[in-house]
Parts: sequence; C-alpha cells; structure tokens
Amino acid sequence: MTNEKMEQRLASAVEKTAPNDVNGVLSRCDERKGTVIPMTTKKTTKKRWTTLAAACLAVMLLGGGGIFYQQAHAVASVVSLDVNPSIELKVSKSEKVLVCTPLNEDAKAILADMGDGADLKGAKLDVAVNAIVGSLVRNGYLDSISSAIMISVEDKDTARAEKLQRELTSAVDGVLQTCEAKAAVLTQTLTQDATREQQARENNISTGKAALVNRVLAINPALKFDALAKLSVEELKDLAEAGAPAMPIGKDAAAYAAEQYAGTAALDSVTAEVDSELDEFPAHYEVELHTTWGEFEYLVDAYTGKVLSGQKDLLTTAPVGDETAKPTVPTGDIGHAKAKSIALNHAGVSENKAYDMEIELDDEDGTLVYEVEFKSGGMEYSYEINAATGAILKHEAEIDD
Amino acid sequence: MLSMLMTTEYAPAEERHELQQSLLRVAGGDRDALAELYRRTRPAVYGLALSYLRNAHDAQDLTQDVYVQVWDCAEQYRPTGSPMGWLLAVCRSLCLMRLRREERHAALSEEEWDAIPAQECGLDTDERVLLQHALASLGDEERRIVLLHAVTGMKHREIAALLELPLPTVLSKYHRALKKMRSCLEGDDAR
Repeated sequence: MTNEKMEQRLASAVEKTAPNDVNGVLSRCDERKGTVIPMTTKKTTKKRWTTLAAACLAVMLLGGGGIFYQQAHAVASVVSLDVNPSIELKVSKSEKVLVCTPLNEDAKAILADMGDGADLKGAKLDVAVNAIVGSLVRNGYLDSISSAIMISVEDKDTARAEKLQRELTSAVDGVLQTCEAKAAVLTQTLTQDATREQQARENNISTGKAALVNRVLAINPALKFDALAKLSVEELKDLAEAGAPAMPIGKDAAAYAAEQYAGTAALDSVTAEVDSELDEFPAHYEVELHTTWGEFEYLVDAYTGKVLSGQKDLLTTAPVGDETAKPTVPTGDIGHAKAKSIALNHAGVSENKAYDMEIELDDEDGTLVYEVEFKSGGMEYSYEINAATGAILKHEAEIDD
Repeated sequence: MLSMLMTTEYAPAEERHELQQSLLRVAGGDRDALAELYRRTRPAVYGLALSYLRNAHDAQDLTQDVYVQVWDCAEQYRPTGSPMGWLLAVCRSLCLMRLRREERHAALSEEEWDAIPAQECGLDTDERVLLQHALASLGDEERRIVLLHAVTGMKHREIAALLELPLPTVLSKYHRALKKMRSCLEGDDAR
C-alpha cells in the first residue's frame, strides 16, 4: 500500500468514526451564547458595590468559604488589593500588617511614599488599607465610574475572613465616598489553591486577581492567562460580564491606536487617558487625548483596535503658530515592546496569534530602526519601524512557506 | 466527503476561503454556518482530539466542546489567519486543558489506545487495523502528525506551527510514523 493510499484509508476511518451530531452541538450553543456572569452594573456607587459584591460572592470562588493555610506561622490572613496595581498584605491574628508587598510596577509607585510598603509593617490593617486606597485615589486609579478595586481575603478561618472582608469593604467604601471616587468595590474570599498561587507568582499578580483571571478563562479557555493577567480588575470584570468573547487589546494599545489615528504619536505634548468600556456594545476603549489646544475623544474597538470614532489627523485642528503642536524631533527610543505593538497593530494580528517573533534594533544609514518579523495564520510579516518616531518605514506580508 | 478531504491539499485556496466565510458567519451568530462548519471539519477536529485523548469516547465529547467554544469565541478569529489552523488550535487548547485537569485528579494509569468507538460505522479491514493497531504502534507526536496530515490536509509546516514543533522534527516523525504503520499493516497481511 502506498503512503498516499494508507493516509486515505486512515482519513476515511477517522471520517467514519467521527461524531456526526450537529444537533447536539447546536442545542448546546443555544444555552451557552449570551450566558454572562450576573454581575450587573448599576451606575450609582452605593448600590453598585453592594450588587457587585453580592454577585461576586455568589459567582466567584467562594465555594464552601475560605480555608487558607499560610505557612508562616504568624500569618493569619492574606489580603490583596487589586486595581491594576496589585498589593498583598500579610496580616496577623490581631489584624496587624506583617508584610506589605507591591506585586507589580504600578503597585511600587503607589507604595513609593510608604517605603515601598515597609512603613506599613506593624500598622493596623484598616489604617494600612486606608493609606493604600488614599494613594490609589491620588494616583487617579479610582476616579472613573467604571473603575473597580477588588479586595480578596484568604484565611483558614472562614468566619474571620468574612468579618475582615466586611470591615475592609466598608473602610474602602468610606474612603472612596470621602474622596468622591466612583469606583466599584468587588470582594471575594478564597480557598487555598496551589495552582493559582503559582499562576499568581509567575505573573506578578495577587492570588485574588489570579482567581478573577481564571474566572474569565473558564468562560473562554482560548484566552491566555499571562495576557489576561496584564489587564486591570475593571477590564477583567467587564470581560467576564460580556462573556469574554475575545482578548481585548489593552489600554496601552488602545491609546496607541487613537494616537496613530489622530497623527499625534510623535508628539510628546499629547497625553492620553484611557477608560475601558468592555461591558458596552460594541466593547471599546474610550481614549481622551489631551493636547495644548483642547481635549479630543476617541472610541477604539476593544477587540480589533479599530478606531470607531474621533477626529482624524488632529494636527490640522491645531491653531497656527502653536509651537507645541509641531512634532518635536524625538531623540528617544520607542523600545522593543512598542515596536512590536506597532507592527502587530498594523498587521491586525493579536499578540497571542503571532509566533516566531524576532525584533532587532538596527542601524540603517544612520537611522535606528526596529526590524520586526513574525508569523501568523500562514503569513510571514516583516516591518521596519523608525526607532525614534515609531513610524513604519517598510512593511511586507507574504505567504509563509 | 472523503474526496473533498483528499483534494484539500490541492485546492487549499477555495477551501480556506469557504471555511473563512463560515467562521465569519458563525462570528455573526449564524447557526447554519456553524452546522456547515461542523459538517466540513468534524473529522479533522475529531482526529486531533483522538490523538491527544487516546480514546474515542472522550474525543467525541471534546469534538462537541470545540464547536460550542467556536460559537462562543468566533469573533476572535481574524481573517488573516488560516481558519483550519485556528479551529485546530482551539481543539488543541481544550485537549491540553482536559489532560491537565485529569492529571490533577489522578496519575493516569498506562492508558490503552482505544480508537474504535462503541458504535462503529462500517470500517473495512484496513481501516480497522490502521485506526486501532497501526496508530497504537506510534508515539503520541507521531500519531498527531500523521492524523493531522491525513485528515486535515495541512502542510507539514502548518502542523509544525500548530504543535509548536520544529519543521524537521515533524518531517522525520512523519516519515518514521508511516514506516511503522506500513510494517504494522503488512505484518497483518502476511499473517
């Protein structure tokens, strides 16, 4: 028997034994499509957090209540606070902070004026949490009505975990009301899970946030943990509510897409403020570009990165003679990550679908360029990107053979 | 159906375009398109699931899961990518998740290759031997590569990308696998 014939026979055998139950599939699709987590969002702060907290309690990994055993003998509970900064507090039985750890770069900035968390050692938990939430508010993390802070408590003692969680929730809510911050407060108590702890460690996030990421993954297993871990709590919450149809591009990429569209990517004087609206339809990021001659709003599709609305070529609207509006000659380096996102964005390929990624900084006749090459979906892409301005100098896409 | 599968390799552009259209329609919530996609691609998805799960019953269950998953996340598919590649990547990721989950529950005992479903559907002798004994003689990766090549009409480099293996590895495993299968078949003939 020839190889070809053998393969044909094999194909035919698989064909004959493959399931053929299209109705079974369709019946399940009915049930699944549009099944979203009932974390309903109300636009009033007070109501909002109670609804959300209740929904979260019901939905998230509460299980039979928290039983968490911390090896360090003095640690009774572990409290984590997640916005995008992730901060972990180890707490003694008497609710004193034993260790306060910033888990990511954003968190370090929040704890910068508290000795990177060291100053909070020995403080009562509520005092420490007040200080941290105050800093989060000052740094603008909790201003928007759609932002969210998540409080997770891990404790082997269920009753104590729940008591702590109630206290913290009302403390945080108090701070938010005083500061007129509009963020939602999500809460959860967790049981110990070695896999989740490892996931959290590997991605520099708290176990609380890892639990939220797993929640999203349970809805859509095709997404990637590490990519999700980079999203904010607000984005993850909305993503779960929306049934996690796809991987959002993230705030940075959204800001970049808006700036590209507006033609201000090379302008240092333009700053962007991004809000995610993944729970709206179509899911989008709201990007506000602040220029010296006004503020401009852009809506960017959360999954495709396409700009849905906003003023194109913003510079044409700048008043004549405004020096700051002219592109300064950038001397900096956009960096590998930015070069990569420019190329992926241009190719319309999401990062998790690209492979064989190669990025090199090269000198082309005195101009520093990033050469970005990657493959995706049977195509091979190559880009040359000006390392100072981020402008695409050359791009090619050909069938990958 | 068989002839369609066999010609896939020679007419990939049309096939790819049609699958692409189906997927885009599925993304738009078109149930008929999902049914069409299922009819066209189920042997490929089932073949890959079987190669991972080693058991006809589990593979049949998982095949259904794949299409439910596709229904839920077809919007994620980008027309720049190969539709079959995307579909099989969803399948592979579900297989790996399932294997991880099972691994956590218990250390798997030496599982037998069990490719013939309880309700078998008119296999001839060669097909039976191939499906059960010849495939059983292969290593996991060899089996995956041969099944993908035979059933999906994917090229070796596409298989390499899907399985995250270097192309030379795929080629050598493919040839070794065919050799093993042939000796299994011919041994059987000689008997």
